[in-house]
Amino acid sequence: MVRLDFQGMSSREVNKKLKEVIQSEREIEVVNPHSMHNFATALIGRATITVHGSTGFYTGGFLDGPALIVKGNTGWYTADNMSSGEIIIEMNTGSNAGPSMLGGTLLIKGNSGSRVGYGMKGGNLIVCGNVGRWLGQMTLGGRIIVFGEVGEGVGESVYNGVIHVLDQGVEEKLGGNVRVIPIEDQEKKEVEALFKKYGIERGVDDFRSVVPKIYGRHEYVLFKPTHKKTVLA
Amino acid sequence: MTGKEDKQAKAKDVQRGVWNPETIANIKFAAETGKHRIRGCGTPRKFPNFDDLLVLPAQLTRMSIDTYREDCKTQTVLGARYAKKPLIIETPIMISGMSYGAISKEAKTALAKATDIVGTSINNGEGGLLPEERANSYKQVVQILPGRIAFSLRNIQAADALEIISGIGAKPGLSGHLMGSKITREIAAFRQLPEGIDLHSHPRHGDIFGADDLCLKVSELRDVTDDQIPIFFKLAAGRVWEDVKIAVKAGVDGIVIDGAQGGTGAAPVIASNNLGIPALPALVQAVRSLEDMGVKEEVSLIISGGIKDGADVAKALALGADAVAIGTGALVAMGCVVCLRCHEGKCAFGIGTQDPELRKNLNIDEAAQRVANYIQAMTYEAVVLAKAAGKTKLQSMEREDLRSLTLEACAMTGIPLVGSNYVFGERFGFC
Repeated sequence: MVRLDFQGMSSREVNKKLKEVIQSEREIEVVNPHSMHNFATALIGRATITVHGSTGFYTGGFLDGPALIVKGNTGWYTADNMSSGEIIIEMNTGSNAGPSMLGGTLLIKGNSGSRVGYGMKGGNLIVCGNVGRWLGQMTLGGRIIVFGEVGEGVGESVYNGVIHVLDQGVEEKLGGNVRVIPIEDQEKKEVEALFKKYGIERGVDDFRSVVPKIYGRHEYVLFKPTHKKTVLA
Repeated sequence: MTGKEDKQAKAKDVQRGVWNPETIANIKFAAETGKHRIRGCGTPRKFPNFDDLLVLPAQLTRMSIDTYREDCKTQTVLGARYAKKPLIIETPIMISGMSYGAISKEAKTALAKATDIVGTSINNGEGGLLPEERANSYKQVVQILPGRIAFSLRNIQAADALEIISGIGAKPGLSGHLMGSKITREIAAFRQLPEGIDLHSHPRHGDIFGADDLCLKVSELRDVTDDQIPIFFKLAAGRVWEDVKIAVKAGVDGIVIDGAQGGTGAAPVIASNNLGIPALPALVQAVRSLEDMGVKEEVSLIISGGIKDGADVAKALALGADAVAIGTGALVAMGCVVCLRCHEGKCAFGIGTQDPELRKNLNIDEAAQRVANYIQAMTYEAVVLAKAAGKTKLQSMEREDLRSLTLEACAMTGIPLVGSNYVFGERFGFC
């Protein structure tokens, strides 16, 4: 195990150091991250990096392999284009968590913002708290799980993938082209396995799934008059 | 026939101003469907362009360079602002982003092979990097689009340059649109999409929600690339002066401006015809913006949108571009006749289609050679003009070598009107 103190270092210096250390170490402890942006960018390897503090925007962008545990908050765009590995945020994240994720798991133990899973392509994204608007907008794959309340526009333009939610009012907050169905048995097993892996003690039976109505097809409405329409005979 | 009606023009012979056949067809389409029309290739509108400028030949004030016996260098270095390995190409003519999906695998492979013949770059466009493209290309530019479809760290690792794209000239401010007719099983698998349905990708980056985000994004990409390769930013021509300044501040190595004449596989007609400004004034504004910031010599500038021949190249370089990018012209070299129906996916030439039978109509090696010939010929043409203007390097073309043929171009560019040193339109163009 190695302990790295990033006091006074730039994100470029930090990333250079991490890329160097990950070649030989499997357990890396980080102190004084000072909410720096671009933390652990394009880090490739098999180590576990535990960060004591918060990090900024683009935390774990392009991550491929490592496990990154942030014992604080992270900024916007956490796990940007992540390929594989794990990112666990002990507190909250800013908006647009997991944009264009391709694989791996992003676990947010607190709340997140709007556009969680924006353009997600694969992997698992779990939010134990609440999320904002446009959850899972235009995802092409992967699985999003949200325990708390969801904002409006859930699943807008989802082409593929699934969003599991507990929010009982989700029907009133759906985006275009999605519907709500019961969670399937196979999905329950997969989610249970995921919960077990991350020590989440919660049942899965009461989750429901938001999925595309017709996979990808979307009748866009660009003109929305509000008056009472004349209907021709 | 002596009747009164004989002396009047028949209705079909009367020019009806705005009520031309296209207007009437558009209204009929709208009346029948309640929708806007989609069309391929971008706008057919006539905009002011590089033809509105002329090159001044060297005579007594300077010496011309012998067309056939003296050299004029064409090698072009792009993105040297911060990148340790700038993009070095043998001609300032690049191939712009056209996606595997919008055009066939055969067309992409042919374009890539053409770049290897003439020593220039290809750009993958939206929807992933086709292995056949990377395997055959001389230099590979990889786009980072809002949708990030089939985009990964592997794409970046395969790139000679990156291009963050904000918009294209054919439909600025709108998302990418791949018609369902082109999303075959193969394309669906490649892009991770359902088969046979339209793709409307994102118009905005999900991880760039402002200028400060862009600064961080560029910084992130520098980390990913270890500062090795250039990062360009492509923007559709609109508020060019301001947009260029933001991109420069964000720390990119080069800027690509796509004028309103730029092509696409599918776009709303109303968008292609009315959004954005043409390449000519956009280039002038971009140059002025870079000069205003004092970074003209360090930030590369690439112009695209309707570039068709070597004269356009020479004039664009004279105005301040470092290179041009071509799209439609390269497709025409392969056989495209600009029928404006790319969106239907039934291209008989095997270019704008994913139909397995139609794709057989494109011979990859023949098409590659034709595109290479076209780029070579364009380079020759530019060299002919540059030498006549007294240049031993294409990059030495300068504003002073140009005159405007029209008042409009004069006012737009600040290049003096032909036969004078007079500029109409104070405070426009380079004035």
